[in-house]
Amino acid sequence: MAQAKFLKEADLAAWLGELAKGRKVLVPQKDGDAVVFKPWHEGVKPVLDRQATESPKKAVFPASEKLFRFSYIKDPENPGKVRVELEEPEKPEPALVFGGRPCDARGFLIFDRVYDSPKTRDSYYVARREATAFVTLACPEASNTCFCHAVGSGPADTAGSDALMTPVEGGYVLEAISPKGEELLKSPLLSDAGDKLAQAERVKAQAVESLPPAPDFAGSPEALMARFDDMGFWENASAKCISCGACTYLCPTCYCFSITDEESGMKGVRMRSWDNCMSYQFTLEASGHNPRPTKAHRLKNRVGHKFSYYPLIHKGAIACCGCGRCIKSCPVSVDIREIVTMAIEAAPTAEESAQPQGAKQ
Amino acid sequence: MPASAGSELRIVGFLCNWCSYGGADTAGVGRFTQPTDLRIIRVPCSGRIDPLFVVKALMGGADGVLVSGCHPRDCHYSQGNFYARRRLEVLKRFLPTLGIDPKRFEYTWVSASEGQRWQSVVTKFTEQIHALGPAPNQCRSAQAPQEAERSAG
Amino acid sequence: MSVIDELKSAIKAKLSELDLVIGWGPGFDPLHATPLFMRCEKDVDKLLWGPLNVHNPATYLPGLKGKKVGVVVKGCDSRSVIELLQEKLVKREELVIFGAPCAGVIDMGKVRRALGDLDKVNAVSIEGDNVVVTAGGKQHTLPLAEVAADKCGRCRYHNALISDVFVGEHLPPSVEQDDYADVEAFESQSLEERNAYWKREMQRCIRCYACRNACPLCVCRDHCIAQSRDPHWIGQGDNVGDKWMFQMIHAQHLAGRCTECGECQRACPVGIPLLALKRKLNKEIKELFDYEAGVDPNACPPLQSFKVEEEHINERGW
Repeated sequence: MAQAKFLKEADLAAWLGELAKGRKVLVPQKDGDAVVFKPWHEGVKPVLDRQATESPKKAVFPASEKLFRFSYIKDPENPGKVRVELEEPEKPEPALVFGGRPCDARGFLIFDRVYDSPKTRDSYYVARREATAFVTLACPEASNTCFCHAVGSGPADTAGSDALMTPVEGGYVLEAISPKGEELLKSPLLSDAGDKLAQAERVKAQAVESLPPAPDFAGSPEALMARFDDMGFWENASAKCISCGACTYLCPTCYCFSITDEESGMKGVRMRSWDNCMSYQFTLEASGHNPRPTKAHRLKNRVGHKFSYYPLIHKGAIACCGCGRCIKSCPVSVDIREIVTMAIEAAPTAEESAQPQGAKQ
Repeated sequence: MPASAGSELRIVGFLCNWCSYGGADTAGVGRFTQPTDLRIIRVPCSGRIDPLFVVKALMGGADGVLVSGCHPRDCHYSQGNFYARRRLEVLKRFLPTLGIDPKRFEYTWVSASEGQRWQSVVTKFTEQIHALGPAPNQCRSAQAPQEAERSAG
Repeated sequence: MSVIDELKSAIKAKLSELDLVIGWGPGFDPLHATPLFMRCEKDVDKLLWGPLNVHNPATYLPGLKGKKVGVVVKGCDSRSVIELLQEKLVKREELVIFGAPCAGVIDMGKVRRALGDLDKVNAVSIEGDNVVVTAGGKQHTLPLAEVAADKCGRCRYHNALISDVFVGEHLPPSVEQDDYADVEAFESQSLEERNAYWKREMQRCIRCYACRNACPLCVCRDHCIAQSRDPHWIGQGDNVGDKWMFQMIHAQHLAGRCTECGECQRACPVGIPLLALKRKLNKEIKELFDYEAGVDPNACPPLQSFKVEEEHINERGW
């Protein structure tokens, strides 16, 4: 560990003020009954004692992003001829996500394998990713819906963060994780952590103890694959799902989008917006055919993608960070842990898989 | 034309094909002077008007919306305006809860022969909108990037 | 026999003639019940009845057409069933309705405000008129009247208005008339304040459409005009205008049909007070047409009918 610093609770606002110089700092804030990430400004008190309602995903992957502006220019010589002019997008401004949880920061590692791989490089994503730093708050205590420890993470996971903050008596212990983080911790407001570091370690250990028993997802990729054609299983698992997109939009790892041209007169914007596999339109083809016509097909995709298809192509990495938002914010309390466990426990025998689908129910 | 003496405002008119559009035409043929703020959209019947047309116009930045159809009992399709009347009345009463002045929306009945009545309706409505002034910036859809930027876009 | 035991035995008695029965069962923690789809007696044993049954099971009915479905309803849920029957969106002969008196359900938002957080609930029990919630080792005694959903405080239909089997004692209405005091209080603000209020609230909408999908009367489901590109009713941008416009679509399509079950608002993951829009419409519809949705299976929704002479519409001399 390069360095550990201590920030007094009383200096939090001042430090945020320093961080906000030259960059946008997103902090969890009360908005109605929800806690959402919004730009910090003088006087805002970040909500750090509970997990935010939404993940900070929009910091790097905005809910809708202008890819470019375009305008149609009529040729004055020949009015039948129209030229299209494109306007480059603006460069993203430097940003910092402050007070997200380890699961929130970890979510972007799952994005990275898709949007920033040697094969494919999404320039919009990469530009924002590089411009964004993460000062993450280690969780002092687990929630009922937490299962980060079941997907290879934990309440003090540093993966994806630049600095980790651990709440201790009177303030926070800050540990730099990356060179970016080291830069951030150079503030004169921070003092050496000294023996507070040991206290931080105790907080982290207690957090691990507070976690509910971890569901065992070992073998989920194969188990879900084995259930792929068992629509009876999925109809049962999705019976209460109302097929809205709350789970996917609050999820730190769901990265799907759609693209629309929003035009008005001779001008327009090509926009990339969040989309989600729970929506019928998501896979609706131009011919009218829809390979995922029912909510059972769609929930199968959501669970299968995270716990089977993604790990199968990314060396076993589960595309879920265990934050539990999809469970606690689901209007009907669909529980992804339960579905994966059901699939694992229902692993079919050889003769069962030979039977026609829907037999088990 | 007192109403359009100042700068023009954006007023959208949804007129039924059989009566009010004819009425506006009659007013034009009769060379009755009218304010020029109104942009007319011709629809087959006032019953075709989805209240959401009006909401969309008002939210998209229209300063006023006027709907006009055949007089009750005189609908070309017998009943279209009876349904319209209920929907539009509910809509008019709904607008205040959104913070939209209900005076920005009116519905009226003008027949094809009532050129004079059309002139008076359009003049009165335009004056009413001018008295209210330009609509406070409702959030215009699509090209309202400043809104998006606020939420961390 | 308690209401829950009576319900269970009534359901078990009918189970063999039904494809499934929808009710409520235990969810991921003691505070959260979850819709329960009962297909065998073992499922029926999981059934819950009480103030945690916040969901409206009528939402699932249009999607189960063609199946013989049993549904357990609270008073407000039964109104949605009636409205669906009125609009011929479900068939009476395909339904078996189990009703019981509901004394009110809790509003998770209110419990969250009382606890600060809903994340660490270990135990919940109903003791008399209180909900006792143990969370993070601390016990909170919350009077039901205080944490009940607003709709329950003004409920006039605690007992299912339509049912094949009704168990328990009928409860008297909480109030004689709904005075729409909340709507009036909201409208005592200036137009600018109301406008600013909605813009502020709509800002945090994430466009997940939980409000729409949880609504028992939003029956277009996969074919909602909100997602149509032609016509392009709303853009896909992350801006208040488009988000708010969607709520206009929802509210207008519910005009004269909404039974105020409040699922739109309850389902919203970011807590936007959506029911207020529908309450306003219902207030006006009550005044204009003396009509209330979902109380009479044979009534025709007011915006699907008309009178040649309308008593309460003053066309204002235009």
